[in-house]
Amino acid sequence: MVEQTPVQVFRSQEKMGRFTSPAFYLKIAILAAFIITPFLFPSFKSLDLVLKIMIFAVLVASFDILLGYTGILSFGHVMFFGIGAYSVALLLGKFGEPTYAFLFLGFVIAILVTTALALLISFLSLRVKAIFFAMVTLAIAEFAIILATKLSSFTGGEDGIIMSTPGIFKVSFNMGSFMGVDITGRVITYYFILVICLILFMLMARFIQSPLGRVMQAIRDNEPRAEALGYKTFVFKATSICFGCLVSTIVGGLYVMWVGYANPESVLGVPIMLDVLLMVIIGGMGTLYGALAGAAFLRLAYTFLPDLQSLAQDLLPNLHFVHTMMERWLLIFGILFILVVFFFPKGIIGTIQNYLKTRKAV
Amino acid sequence: MTDTLLKVDGIHTFIGQHHILQGVSFEAKTEGVTVLLGRNGAGKSTTLKTIMGLLPAKQGKIVYKGKPIQAKKPHQIARMGIGFVPENMGIFSELTVEENMQVAMLKDDIAAQKRLEDVLQMFTTLKDFWGAKAGILSGGQKQMLAIARAIVNETSLLLIDEPTKGLAPIIIDALIEAINQIKQHSVVLLVEQNFYMASQVGDDFYILDDGMVVHNGRMQDLVEDDELQSRYLGITK
Repeated sequence: MVEQTPVQVFRSQEKMGRFTSPAFYLKIAILAAFIITPFLFPSFKSLDLVLKIMIFAVLVASFDILLGYTGILSFGHVMFFGIGAYSVALLLGKFGEPTYAFLFLGFVIAILVTTALALLISFLSLRVKAIFFAMVTLAIAEFAIILATKLSSFTGGEDGIIMSTPGIFKVSFNMGSFMGVDITGRVITYYFILVICLILFMLMARFIQSPLGRVMQAIRDNEPRAEALGYKTFVFKATSICFGCLVSTIVGGLYVMWVGYANPESVLGVPIMLDVLLMVIIGGMGTLYGALAGAAFLRLAYTFLPDLQSLAQDLLPNLHFVHTMMERWLLIFGILFILVVFFFPKGIIGTIQNYLKTRKAV
Repeated sequence: MTDTLLKVDGIHTFIGQHHILQGVSFEAKTEGVTVLLGRNGAGKSTTLKTIMGLLPAKQGKIVYKGKPIQAKKPHQIARMGIGFVPENMGIFSELTVEENMQVAMLKDDIAAQKRLEDVLQMFTTLKDFWGAKAGILSGGQKQMLAIARAIVNETSLLLIDEPTKGLAPIIIDALIEAINQIKQHSVVLLVEQNFYMASQVGDDFYILDDGMVVHNGRMQDLVEDDELQSRYLGITK
Protein backbone atom coordinates (compact mmCIF):
# COMPACT_ATOMS: atom_id res chain seq x y z
CA MET A 1 0.00 0.00 0.00
CA VAL A 2 1.26 3.50 -0.91
CA GLU A 3 1.99 5.61 2.13
CA GLN A 4 0.08 8.90 2.28
CA THR A 5 2.03 12.14 2.25
CA PRO A 6 1.50 14.62 5.14
CA VAL A 7 -0.66 16.83 2.93
CA GLN A 8 -2.83 13.89 1.85
CA VAL A 9 -3.23 12.77 5.47
CA PHE A 10 -4.36 16.25 6.52
CA ARG A 11 -6.80 16.55 3.62
CA SER A 12 -8.40 13.16 4.22
CA GLN A 13 -8.78 13.99 7.93
CA GLU A 14 -10.37 17.29 7.01
CA LYS A 15 -12.79 15.59 4.58
CA MET A 16 -13.79 13.01 7.19
CA GLY A 17 -14.38 15.70 9.82
CA ARG A 18 -16.47 17.87 7.51
CA PHE A 19 -19.69 15.91 8.04
CA THR A 20 -19.18 15.10 11.71
CA SER A 21 -18.37 18.56 13.05
CA PRO A 22 -20.87 20.42 15.30
CA ALA A 23 -20.81 23.30 12.78
CA PHE A 24 -22.24 20.99 10.10
CA TYR A 25 -25.15 19.95 12.33
CA LEU A 26 -25.75 23.56 13.34
CA LYS A 27 -26.09 24.52 9.67
CA ILE A 28 -28.54 21.66 9.08
CA ALA A 29 -30.56 22.77 12.15
CA ILE A 30 -30.73 26.37 10.91
CA LEU A 31 -31.83 25.22 7.45
CA ALA A 32 -34.48 22.96 9.03
CA ALA A 33 -35.73 25.92 11.09
CA PHE A 34 -36.15 27.99 7.92
CA ILE A 35 -38.00 25.13 6.22
CA ILE A 36 -40.50 24.44 9.01
CA THR A 37 -41.20 28.08 9.94
CA PRO A 38 -44.40 28.35 7.78
CA PHE A 39 -45.78 25.29 9.59
CA LEU A 40 -44.80 26.30 13.12
CA PHE A 41 -45.40 30.06 12.84
CA PRO A 42 -47.72 30.67 9.86
CA SER A 43 -48.51 34.31 10.75
CA PHE A 44 -47.33 36.95 8.28
CA LYS A 45 -45.27 38.71 10.95
CA SER A 46 -43.26 35.54 11.63
CA LEU A 47 -42.77 34.70 7.97
CA ASP A 48 -41.81 38.30 7.21
CA LEU A 49 -39.25 38.33 10.03
CA VAL A 50 -37.64 35.02 9.08
CA LEU A 51 -37.59 35.81 5.36
CA LYS A 52 -36.02 39.22 5.93
CA ILE A 53 -33.36 37.58 8.11
CA MET A 54 -32.67 35.22 5.21
CA ILE A 55 -32.61 37.96 2.56
CA PHE A 56 -30.43 40.28 4.63
CA ALA A 57 -28.11 37.40 5.52
CA VAL A 58 -27.43 36.84 1.81
CA LEU A 59 -27.09 40.58 1.16
CA VAL A 60 -24.66 40.97 4.07
CA ALA A 61 -22.72 37.87 2.99
CA SER A 62 -22.34 39.36 -0.50
CA PHE A 63 -21.02 42.56 1.12
CA ASP A 64 -18.71 40.41 3.24
CA ILE A 65 -17.22 38.95 0.04
CA LEU A 66 -16.05 42.47 -0.77
CA LEU A 67 -15.17 43.81 2.67
CA GLY A 68 -14.27 40.75 4.72
CA TYR A 69 -12.70 38.59 2.03
CA THR A 70 -11.14 41.10 -0.37
CA GLY A 71 -10.70 44.18 1.83
CA ILE A 72 -12.78 46.47 -0.41
CA LEU A 73 -15.06 48.94 1.39
CA SER A 74 -17.86 49.93 -0.99
CA PHE A 75 -20.73 52.10 0.22
CA GLY A 76 -22.42 51.48 -3.12
CA HIS A 77 -23.30 47.87 -2.38
CA VAL A 78 -26.94 48.52 -1.50
CA MET A 79 -27.33 50.40 -4.79
CA PHE A 80 -27.10 47.01 -6.53
CA PHE A 81 -29.76 45.63 -4.18
CA GLY A 82 -31.88 48.59 -5.32
CA ILE A 83 -31.14 47.93 -9.00
CA GLY A 84 -32.42 44.37 -8.61
CA ALA A 85 -35.48 45.55 -6.70
CA TYR A 86 -36.34 48.34 -9.13
CA SER A 87 -35.75 46.20 -12.19
CA VAL A 88 -38.17 43.48 -11.02
CA ALA A 89 -40.67 46.05 -9.69
CA LEU A 90 -40.62 48.01 -12.96
CA LEU A 91 -41.22 44.96 -15.12
CA LEU A 92 -43.98 43.59 -12.90
CA GLY A 93 -45.59 46.89 -11.94
CA LYS A 94 -45.45 49.03 -15.06
CA PHE A 95 -46.35 46.77 -17.94
CA GLY A 96 -49.84 45.55 -17.18
CA GLU A 97 -50.60 42.09 -15.83
CA PRO A 98 -47.48 40.54 -14.21
CA THR A 99 -46.17 37.42 -15.94
CA TYR A 100 -43.38 34.91 -15.32
CA ALA A 101 -41.62 36.29 -18.44
CA PHE A 102 -41.58 39.80 -16.94
CA LEU A 103 -40.31 38.41 -13.65
CA PHE A 104 -37.50 36.54 -15.41
CA LEU A 105 -36.71 39.54 -17.61
CA GLY A 106 -36.57 41.76 -14.53
CA PHE A 107 -33.80 39.61 -13.09
CA VAL A 108 -31.96 39.42 -16.42
CA ILE A 109 -31.97 43.21 -16.87
CA ALA A 110 -30.84 43.69 -13.26
CA ILE A 111 -27.95 41.27 -13.81
CA LEU A 112 -26.86 43.01 -17.03
CA VAL A 113 -27.03 46.52 -15.58
CA THR A 114 -25.24 45.37 -12.43
CA THR A 115 -22.44 43.68 -14.37
CA ALA A 116 -21.78 46.85 -16.38
CA LEU A 117 -21.87 49.11 -13.31
CA ALA A 118 -19.81 46.73 -11.18
CA LEU A 119 -17.12 46.63 -13.86
CA LEU A 120 -17.09 50.43 -13.94
CA ILE A 121 -16.70 50.53 -10.16
CA SER A 122 -13.91 47.92 -10.43
CA PHE A 123 -11.98 50.21 -12.76
CA LEU A 124 -12.42 52.99 -10.22
CA SER A 125 -10.69 50.79 -7.66
CA LEU A 126 -7.61 50.90 -9.88
CA ARG A 127 -7.49 54.68 -9.76
CA VAL A 128 -8.45 55.43 -6.17
CA LYS A 129 -7.45 53.59 -3.03
CA ALA A 130 -9.21 52.51 0.18
CA ILE A 131 -11.15 55.34 1.81
CA PHE A 132 -11.32 57.36 -1.42
CA PHE A 133 -12.86 54.36 -3.16
CA ALA A 134 -15.43 54.14 -0.34
CA MET A 135 -16.25 57.83 -0.77
CA VAL A 136 -16.60 57.55 -4.54
CA THR A 137 -18.97 54.57 -4.21
CA LEU A 138 -20.99 56.51 -1.61
CA ALA A 139 -21.31 59.37 -4.10
CA ILE A 140 -22.47 56.94 -6.82
CA ALA A 141 -25.02 55.42 -4.43
CA GLU A 142 -26.34 58.91 -3.55
CA PHE A 143 -26.58 59.66 -7.25
CA ALA A 144 -28.68 56.51 -7.72
CA ILE A 145 -31.04 57.65 -4.94
CA ILE A 146 -31.41 61.06 -6.59
CA LEU A 147 -32.08 59.39 -9.95
CA ALA A 148 -34.73 57.10 -8.45
CA THR A 149 -36.38 60.08 -6.75
CA LYS A 150 -36.26 62.53 -9.67
CA LEU A 151 -37.17 60.20 -12.54
CA SER A 152 -40.67 59.90 -11.10
CA SER A 153 -42.43 59.06 -14.38
CA PHE A 154 -40.21 55.99 -14.63
CA THR A 155 -39.51 55.03 -11.02
CA GLY A 156 -42.53 56.44 -9.24
CA GLY A 157 -40.36 59.01 -7.40
CA GLU A 158 -40.43 58.92 -3.60
CA ASP A 159 -43.62 56.81 -3.63
CA GLY A 160 -41.87 54.13 -5.68
CA ILE A 161 -43.54 51.31 -7.56
CA ILE A 162 -46.17 48.98 -6.19
CA MET A 163 -46.41 45.65 -7.97
CA SER A 164 -47.85 42.17 -7.62
CA THR A 165 -46.27 38.86 -8.47
CA PRO A 166 -47.43 36.48 -11.20
CA GLY A 167 -49.20 33.09 -11.05
CA ILE A 168 -48.38 30.92 -8.06
CA PHE A 169 -46.54 33.80 -6.36
CA LYS A 170 -49.74 35.93 -6.20
CA VAL A 171 -50.89 36.65 -2.64
CA SER A 172 -54.44 35.51 -3.57
CA PHE A 173 -53.23 32.16 -4.95
CA ASN A 174 -54.18 29.16 -2.79
CA MET A 175 -53.15 25.58 -3.51
CA GLY A 176 -55.13 24.18 -0.62
CA SER A 177 -54.16 23.02 2.82
CA PHE A 178 -51.16 20.88 3.81
CA MET A 179 -50.62 19.75 7.43
CA GLY A 180 -53.08 22.40 8.55
CA VAL A 181 -51.35 25.25 6.75
CA ASP A 182 -52.79 27.02 3.70
CA ILE A 183 -50.28 26.82 0.86
CA THR A 184 -50.85 30.34 -0.43
CA GLY A 185 -48.84 32.45 -2.85
CA ARG A 186 -47.07 33.89 0.20
CA VAL A 187 -45.90 30.46 1.36
CA ILE A 188 -44.80 29.49 -2.16
CA THR A 189 -42.90 32.80 -2.50
CA TYR A 190 -41.31 32.10 0.89
CA TYR A 191 -39.99 28.73 -0.27
CA PHE A 192 -38.95 30.07 -3.67
CA ILE A 193 -36.88 32.81 -1.99
CA LEU A 194 -35.52 30.29 0.54
CA VAL A 195 -34.28 28.00 -2.27
CA ILE A 196 -32.66 30.86 -4.23
CA CYS A 197 -31.07 32.29 -1.07
CA LEU A 198 -29.73 28.85 -0.18
CA ILE A 199 -28.24 28.44 -3.67
CA LEU A 200 -26.69 31.93 -3.49
CA PHE A 201 -25.26 31.21 -0.04
CA MET A 202 -23.78 27.88 -1.19
CA LEU A 203 -22.31 29.61 -4.25
CA MET A 204 -20.67 32.22 -2.01
CA ALA A 205 -19.34 29.53 0.34
CA ARG A 206 -17.88 27.66 -2.65
CA PHE A 207 -16.50 30.93 -4.05
CA ILE A 208 -14.52 31.80 -0.92
CA GLN A 209 -13.19 28.26 -0.52
CA SER A 210 -12.05 28.10 -4.13
CA PRO A 211 -8.47 28.97 -5.17
CA LEU A 212 -9.91 32.28 -6.39
CA GLY A 213 -11.33 33.00 -2.94
CA ARG A 214 -8.01 32.21 -1.29
CA VAL A 215 -6.18 34.66 -3.55
CA MET A 216 -8.75 37.32 -2.68
CA GLN A 217 -8.09 36.77 1.01
CA ALA A 218 -4.37 37.02 0.32
CA ILE A 219 -4.99 40.36 -1.43
CA ARG A 220 -6.93 41.52 1.62
CA ASP A 221 -4.04 40.57 3.93
CA ASN A 222 -1.20 41.95 1.80
CA GLU A 223 -1.86 43.14 -1.75
CA PRO A 224 1.75 43.89 -2.85
CA ARG A 225 2.80 40.47 -1.60
CA ALA A 226 -0.01 38.75 -3.54
CA GLU A 227 1.13 40.60 -6.65
CA ALA A 228 4.74 39.56 -6.05
CA LEU A 229 3.54 35.95 -5.88
CA GLY A 230 2.35 36.27 -9.48
CA TYR A 231 -1.27 37.44 -9.26
CA LYS A 232 -2.71 40.33 -11.26
CA THR A 233 -4.62 41.63 -8.27
CA PHE A 234 -6.93 43.93 -10.23
CA VAL A 235 -8.55 40.96 -12.00
CA PHE A 236 -9.28 39.28 -8.67
CA LYS A 237 -10.66 42.46 -7.12
CA ALA A 238 -12.89 43.06 -10.15
CA THR A 239 -14.15 39.46 -9.97
CA SER A 240 -14.93 39.88 -6.29
CA ILE A 241 -16.76 43.18 -6.84
CA CYS A 242 -18.81 41.78 -9.75
CA PHE A 243 -19.70 38.57 -7.93
CA GLY A 244 -20.73 40.35 -4.71
CA CYS A 245 -22.78 42.92 -6.62
CA LEU A 246 -24.54 40.25 -8.69
CA VAL A 247 -25.62 38.40 -5.56
CA SER A 248 -26.80 41.71 -4.10
CA THR A 249 -28.90 42.52 -7.17
CA ILE A 250 -30.54 39.06 -7.27
CA VAL A 251 -31.42 39.26 -3.61
CA GLY A 252 -32.86 42.76 -4.25
CA GLY A 253 -35.20 41.24 -6.83
CA LEU A 254 -36.24 38.56 -4.35
CA TYR A 255 -36.87 41.18 -1.66
CA VAL A 256 -39.25 43.12 -3.87
CA MET A 257 -41.08 39.89 -4.75
CA TRP A 258 -41.82 39.54 -1.05
CA VAL A 259 -42.66 43.11 -0.01
CA GLY A 260 -44.45 44.07 -3.28
CA TYR A 261 -43.03 47.57 -3.62
CA ALA A 262 -39.79 49.41 -4.24
CA ASN A 263 -39.03 53.00 -3.30
CA PRO A 264 -35.74 54.85 -2.72
CA GLU A 265 -36.01 54.60 1.07
CA SER A 266 -36.77 50.89 1.22
CA VAL A 267 -34.24 49.53 -1.31
CA LEU A 268 -31.63 52.22 -1.98
CA GLY A 269 -31.40 54.29 1.19
CA VAL A 270 -28.20 54.95 3.13
CA PRO A 271 -29.83 53.57 6.34
CA ILE A 272 -29.96 50.13 4.64
CA MET A 273 -26.25 50.41 3.89
CA LEU A 274 -25.63 51.29 7.54
CA ASP A 275 -27.71 48.27 8.60
CA VAL A 276 -25.63 46.04 6.34
CA LEU A 277 -22.45 47.48 7.86
CA LEU A 278 -23.78 46.88 11.38
CA MET A 279 -24.78 43.33 10.49
CA VAL A 280 -21.35 42.49 9.09
CA ILE A 281 -19.63 43.98 12.16
CA ILE A 282 -21.94 42.14 14.58
CA GLY A 283 -21.68 38.83 12.72
CA GLY A 284 -17.96 39.07 12.00
CA MET A 285 -16.10 40.25 8.92
CA GLY A 286 -14.68 37.54 6.71
CA THR A 287 -16.78 34.77 8.20
CA LEU A 288 -19.68 34.52 5.70
CA TYR A 289 -21.92 32.73 8.24
CA GLY A 290 -21.53 35.78 10.46
CA ALA A 291 -23.87 37.47 8.00
CA LEU A 292 -26.67 35.23 9.24
CA ALA A 293 -25.89 36.00 12.89
CA GLY A 294 -25.69 39.74 12.18
CA ALA A 295 -28.89 39.79 10.14
CA ALA A 296 -30.75 37.77 12.79
CA PHE A 297 -29.51 40.05 15.59
CA LEU A 298 -30.54 43.25 13.85
CA ARG A 299 -33.86 42.06 12.43
CA LEU A 300 -34.89 40.52 15.77
CA ALA A 301 -33.91 43.71 17.55
CA TYR A 302 -35.83 45.90 15.10
CA THR A 303 -38.90 43.66 15.38
CA PHE A 304 -39.07 43.02 19.11
CA LEU A 305 -37.37 45.98 20.82
CA PRO A 306 -40.22 48.41 19.94
CA ASP A 307 -42.63 45.96 21.66
CA LEU A 308 -40.69 46.10 24.92
CA GLN A 309 -42.62 49.14 26.14
CA SER A 310 -45.99 47.38 26.06
CA LEU A 311 -44.37 44.30 27.61
CA ALA A 312 -42.95 46.44 30.41
CA GLN A 313 -46.36 48.07 30.95
CA ASP A 314 -47.96 44.64 31.31
CA LEU A 315 -45.32 43.15 33.57
CA LEU A 316 -44.31 46.21 35.59
CA PRO A 317 -47.35 48.55 35.54
CA ASN A 318 -46.05 50.91 38.27
CA LEU A 319 -42.50 51.44 37.10
CA HIS A 320 -42.90 54.48 34.83
CA PHE A 321 -39.15 54.99 34.56
CA VAL A 322 -38.84 51.56 32.93
CA HIS A 323 -41.69 52.40 30.52
CA THR A 324 -39.91 55.60 29.48
CA MET A 325 -36.65 53.69 29.01
CA MET A 326 -38.37 51.04 26.90
CA GLU A 327 -39.96 53.73 24.74
CA ARG A 328 -36.46 54.69 23.63
CA TRP A 329 -35.71 51.25 22.29
CA LEU A 330 -32.90 52.53 20.06
CA LEU A 331 -31.00 53.30 23.27
CA ILE A 332 -31.34 49.66 24.30
CA PHE A 333 -30.24 48.63 20.84
CA GLY A 334 -27.17 50.86 21.20
CA ILE A 335 -26.30 49.22 24.52
CA LEU A 336 -26.75 45.76 22.99
CA PHE A 337 -24.49 46.73 20.08
CA ILE A 338 -21.77 48.00 22.43
CA LEU A 339 -21.99 44.76 24.44
CA VAL A 340 -21.64 42.63 21.31
CA VAL A 341 -18.64 44.65 20.09
CA PHE A 342 -17.11 44.51 23.58
CA PHE A 343 -17.50 40.76 24.11
CA PHE A 344 -17.11 39.72 20.47
CA PRO A 345 -14.39 42.01 19.06
CA LYS A 346 -14.27 40.05 15.81
CA GLY A 347 -18.04 39.71 15.59
CA ILE A 348 -20.08 36.84 17.01
CA ILE A 349 -19.00 34.16 14.54
CA GLY A 350 -15.51 35.63 14.02
CA THR A 351 -14.71 35.54 17.74
CA ILE A 352 -16.06 32.00 18.16
CA GLN A 353 -14.15 30.75 15.09
CA ASN A 354 -10.97 32.45 16.29
CA TYR A 355 -11.28 30.89 19.73
CA LEU A 356 -11.88 27.40 18.30
CA LYS A 357 -9.02 27.65 15.78
CA THR A 358 -6.53 28.92 18.36
CA ARG A 359 -7.55 26.18 20.79
CA LYS A 360 -7.19 23.55 18.06
CA ALA A 361 -3.77 24.88 17.03
CA VAL A 362 -2.50 24.94 20.61
CA MET B 1 26.36 30.85 -23.56
CA THR B 2 26.37 33.46 -20.81
CA ASP B 3 26.90 32.47 -17.19
CA THR B 4 24.83 35.41 -15.91
CA LEU B 5 21.23 34.85 -14.83
CA LEU B 6 20.52 38.38 -13.63
CA LYS B 7 22.26 41.58 -14.63
CA VAL B 8 21.48 44.82 -12.86
CA ASP B 9 22.98 47.73 -14.76
CA GLY B 10 23.11 51.23 -13.30
CA ILE B 11 19.67 51.37 -11.71
CA HIS B 12 18.40 54.51 -10.00
CA THR B 13 15.42 54.23 -7.67
CA PHE B 14 13.59 56.92 -5.74
CA ILE B 15 11.30 56.50 -2.74
CA GLY B 16 9.29 59.70 -2.68
CA GLN B 17 11.85 62.50 -2.99
CA HIS B 18 14.72 60.35 -1.75
CA HIS B 19 17.24 59.10 -4.28
CA ILE B 20 17.96 55.68 -2.77
CA LEU B 21 19.74 53.70 -5.50
CA GLN B 22 22.28 55.78 -7.36
CA GLY B 23 23.45 53.55 -10.16
CA VAL B 24 23.63 50.08 -8.64
CA SER B 25 25.21 47.47 -10.91
CA PHE B 26 25.89 43.79 -10.24
CA GLU B 27 25.38 40.31 -11.62
CA ALA B 28 24.08 37.02 -10.28
CA LYS B 29 25.57 33.94 -11.93
CA THR B 30 23.56 30.94 -13.11
CA GLU B 31 24.36 29.07 -9.92
CA GLY B 32 25.17 29.74 -6.29
CA VAL B 33 24.31 32.41 -3.78
CA THR B 34 25.11 36.08 -4.37
CA VAL B 35 24.97 38.16 -1.20
CA LEU B 36 24.28 41.89 -1.01
CA LEU B 37 25.94 43.26 2.11
CA GLY B 38 26.01 46.71 3.62
CA ARG B 39 24.99 48.87 6.52
CA ASN B 40 21.41 49.93 7.31
CA GLY B 41 20.03 52.26 4.67
CA ALA B 42 22.61 51.26 2.06
CA GLY B 43 19.84 50.34 -0.41
CA LYS B 44 19.93 46.52 -0.22
CA SER B 45 16.19 45.96 0.29
CA THR B 46 15.37 48.68 -2.25
CA THR B 47 17.49 46.80 -4.78
CA LEU B 48 15.44 43.62 -4.31
CA LYS B 49 12.14 45.53 -4.48
CA THR B 50 13.29 47.23 -7.68
CA ILE B 51 14.21 43.90 -9.27
CA MET B 52 10.79 42.56 -8.26
CA GLY B 53 9.02 45.56 -9.79
CA LEU B 54 7.60 46.73 -6.47
CA LEU B 55 9.54 49.98 -6.84
CA PRO B 56 10.06 51.53 -10.28
CA ALA B 57 13.61 51.98 -11.58
CA LYS B 58 13.85 55.53 -12.96
CA GLN B 59 16.97 54.72 -14.88
CA GLY B 60 19.09 51.68 -15.74
CA LYS B 61 18.42 48.14 -16.91
CA ILE B 62 17.57 44.87 -15.22
CA VAL B 63 18.12 41.87 -17.46
CA TYR B 64 16.91 38.40 -16.42
CA LYS B 65 17.64 35.40 -18.64
CA GLY B 66 18.60 37.84 -21.39
CA LYS B 67 15.31 39.79 -21.23
CA PRO B 68 14.83 43.31 -19.81
CA ILE B 69 12.36 43.24 -16.90
CA GLN B 70 12.63 46.74 -15.42
CA ALA B 71 9.32 47.82 -17.01
CA LYS B 72 7.38 44.70 -16.04
CA LYS B 73 4.77 44.41 -13.28
CA PRO B 74 5.49 42.33 -10.14
CA HIS B 75 3.07 39.55 -11.15
CA GLN B 76 4.74 39.25 -14.58
CA ILE B 77 8.19 39.09 -12.98
CA ALA B 78 7.01 36.43 -10.52
CA ARG B 79 5.65 34.33 -13.37
CA MET B 80 9.03 34.50 -15.11
CA GLY B 81 10.43 32.40 -12.27
CA ILE B 82 11.62 34.93 -9.70
CA GLY B 83 10.58 34.21 -6.12
CA PHE B 84 10.69 36.88 -3.43
CA VAL B 85 10.89 36.58 0.34
CA PRO B 86 10.48 40.11 1.72
CA GLU B 87 12.04 41.44 4.90
CA ASN B 88 8.70 41.44 6.76
CA MET B 89 8.04 37.92 5.38
CA GLY B 90 4.68 39.01 3.91
CA ILE B 91 2.75 36.18 5.52
CA PHE B 92 -1.01 36.16 4.96
CA SER B 93 -1.73 35.97 8.66
CA GLU B 94 -5.49 35.38 8.42
CA LEU B 95 -4.98 32.37 6.13
CA THR B 96 -3.89 28.98 7.40
CA VAL B 97 -0.42 27.61 6.65
CA GLU B 98 -2.03 25.33 4.06
CA GLU B 99 -3.87 28.22 2.42
CA ASN B 100 -0.66 30.28 2.36
CA MET B 101 1.03 27.47 0.46
CA GLN B 102 -1.93 26.97 -1.87
CA VAL B 103 -2.02 30.67 -2.75
CA ALA B 104 1.68 30.54 -3.51
CA MET B 105 1.32 27.54 -5.82
CA LEU B 106 0.75 28.97 -9.28
CA LYS B 107 0.13 25.46 -10.66
CA ASP B 108 -1.61 22.47 -9.11
CA ASP B 109 -0.21 19.64 -11.22
CA ILE B 110 1.64 16.52 -10.07
CA ALA B 111 5.02 18.26 -10.27
CA ALA B 112 3.73 21.08 -8.07
CA GLN B 113 2.35 18.60 -5.52
CA LYS B 114 5.72 16.84 -5.50
CA ARG B 115 7.48 20.14 -4.87
CA LEU B 116 5.05 20.85 -2.02
CA GLU B 117 5.90 17.52 -0.41
CA ASP B 118 9.62 18.24 -0.85
CA VAL B 119 9.24 21.66 0.72
CA LEU B 120 7.44 20.11 3.69
CA GLN B 121 10.27 17.62 4.07
CA MET B 122 12.65 20.58 4.25
CA PHE B 123 10.53 22.59 6.71
CA THR B 124 8.95 19.84 8.81
CA THR B 125 7.63 22.31 11.43
CA LEU B 126 5.10 23.60 8.94
CA LYS B 127 3.33 20.23 8.95
CA ASP B 128 2.51 20.63 12.65
CA PHE B 129 0.75 23.93 11.99
CA TRP B 130 -0.75 22.98 8.62
CA GLY B 131 -4.34 23.84 9.56
CA ALA B 132 -3.52 26.76 11.88
CA LYS B 133 -3.67 30.44 10.99
CA ALA B 134 -0.23 31.64 9.90
CA GLY B 135 -0.56 34.66 12.20
CA ILE B 136 0.06 32.50 15.27
CA LEU B 137 3.43 31.17 14.05
CA SER B 138 6.67 32.27 15.68
CA GLY B 139 9.12 34.51 13.81
CA GLY B 140 11.27 31.57 12.71
CA GLN B 141 8.28 29.53 11.58
CA LYS B 142 6.96 32.52 9.62
CA GLN B 143 10.33 32.87 7.93
CA MET B 144 10.27 29.18 7.00
CA LEU B 145 6.75 29.57 5.61
CA ALA B 146 7.83 32.63 3.62
CA ILE B 147 10.74 30.73 2.06
CA ALA B 148 8.61 27.62 1.54
CA ARG B 149 6.05 29.73 -0.33
CA ALA B 150 8.74 31.19 -2.55
CA ILE B 151 10.29 27.86 -3.54
CA VAL B 152 7.11 25.82 -3.98
CA ASN B 153 6.97 27.07 -7.58
CA GLU B 154 9.63 26.39 -10.17
CA THR B 155 11.87 29.38 -9.44
CA SER B 156 15.17 30.04 -11.19
CA LEU B 157 16.02 32.98 -8.99
CA LEU B 158 15.10 33.49 -5.37
CA LEU B 159 15.38 36.95 -3.77
CA ILE B 160 15.59 36.73 0.02
CA ASP B 161 15.64 39.86 2.15
CA GLU B 162 17.30 39.58 5.59
CA PRO B 163 15.89 36.20 6.62
CA THR B 164 17.77 36.16 9.95
CA LYS B 165 16.39 39.43 11.26
CA GLY B 166 15.22 38.93 14.83
CA LEU B 167 15.73 35.17 14.82
CA ALA B 168 17.41 32.98 17.46
CA PRO B 169 20.81 31.40 16.55
CA ILE B 170 19.34 27.89 16.42
CA ILE B 171 16.77 29.02 13.83
CA ILE B 172 19.53 30.74 11.86
CA ASP B 173 21.40 27.42 11.63
CA ALA B 174 18.23 25.78 10.27
CA LEU B 175 17.89 28.56 7.70
CA ILE B 176 21.53 28.13 6.64
CA GLU B 177 20.85 24.47 6.05
CA ALA B 178 17.67 25.29 4.09
CA ILE B 179 19.39 27.86 1.86
CA ASN B 180 22.26 25.46 1.20
CA GLN B 181 19.65 22.94 0.01
CA ILE B 182 17.82 25.53 -2.08
CA LYS B 183 21.00 26.63 -3.85
CA GLN B 184 21.33 23.12 -5.31
CA HIS B 185 18.50 23.87 -7.75
CA SER B 186 17.93 27.63 -7.68
CA VAL B 187 20.06 30.75 -7.78
CA VAL B 188 19.73 32.88 -4.65
CA LEU B 189 20.21 36.62 -4.31
CA LEU B 190 20.43 37.20 -0.58
CA VAL B 191 20.35 40.48 1.32
CA GLU B 192 21.89 39.94 4.72
CA GLN B 193 23.39 41.92 7.59
CA ASN B 194 24.30 38.85 9.60
CA PHE B 195 27.81 38.14 8.34
CA TYR B 196 27.87 34.66 9.88
CA MET B 197 24.85 33.67 7.79
CA ALA B 198 26.22 35.36 4.67
CA SER B 199 29.58 33.64 5.00
CA GLN B 200 27.97 30.22 5.48
CA VAL B 201 25.86 30.30 2.34
CA GLY B 202 27.39 32.94 0.03
CA ASP B 203 29.54 32.33 -3.03
CA ASP B 204 29.85 35.90 -4.29
CA PHE B 205 29.24 39.21 -2.57
CA TYR B 206 28.56 42.84 -3.37
CA ILE B 207 28.85 45.56 -0.73
CA LEU B 208 26.46 48.48 -1.06
CA ASP B 209 26.97 51.87 0.53
CA ASP B 210 24.83 54.98 0.01
CA GLY B 211 23.00 53.41 -2.91
CA MET B 212 26.08 52.28 -4.83
CA VAL B 213 28.16 49.12 -5.08
CA VAL B 214 31.49 49.90 -3.45
CA HIS B 215 33.14 46.50 -3.49
CA ASN B 216 32.59 42.97 -4.76
CA GLY B 217 34.32 39.63 -4.99
CA ARG B 218 34.29 36.01 -3.82
CA MET B 219 32.81 35.43 -0.37
CA GLN B 220 35.77 33.28 0.63
CA ASP B 221 38.09 36.26 0.06
CA LEU B 222 35.93 38.51 2.23
CA VAL B 223 35.84 35.94 5.03
CA GLU B 224 39.64 35.93 5.06
CA ASP B 225 40.05 39.73 4.83
CA ASP B 226 39.51 41.30 8.28
CA GLU B 227 40.45 44.77 7.06
CA LEU B 228 37.75 44.71 4.36
CA GLN B 229 35.17 43.47 6.86
CA SER B 230 36.06 46.24 9.24
CA ARG B 231 36.05 48.97 6.57
CA TYR B 232 32.74 48.17 4.90
CA LEU B 233 30.77 46.16 7.42
CA GLY B 234 32.08 47.55 10.72
CA ILE B 235 33.06 44.07 11.92
CA THR B 236 35.95 44.09 14.41
CA LYS B 237 37.59 40.99 15.82
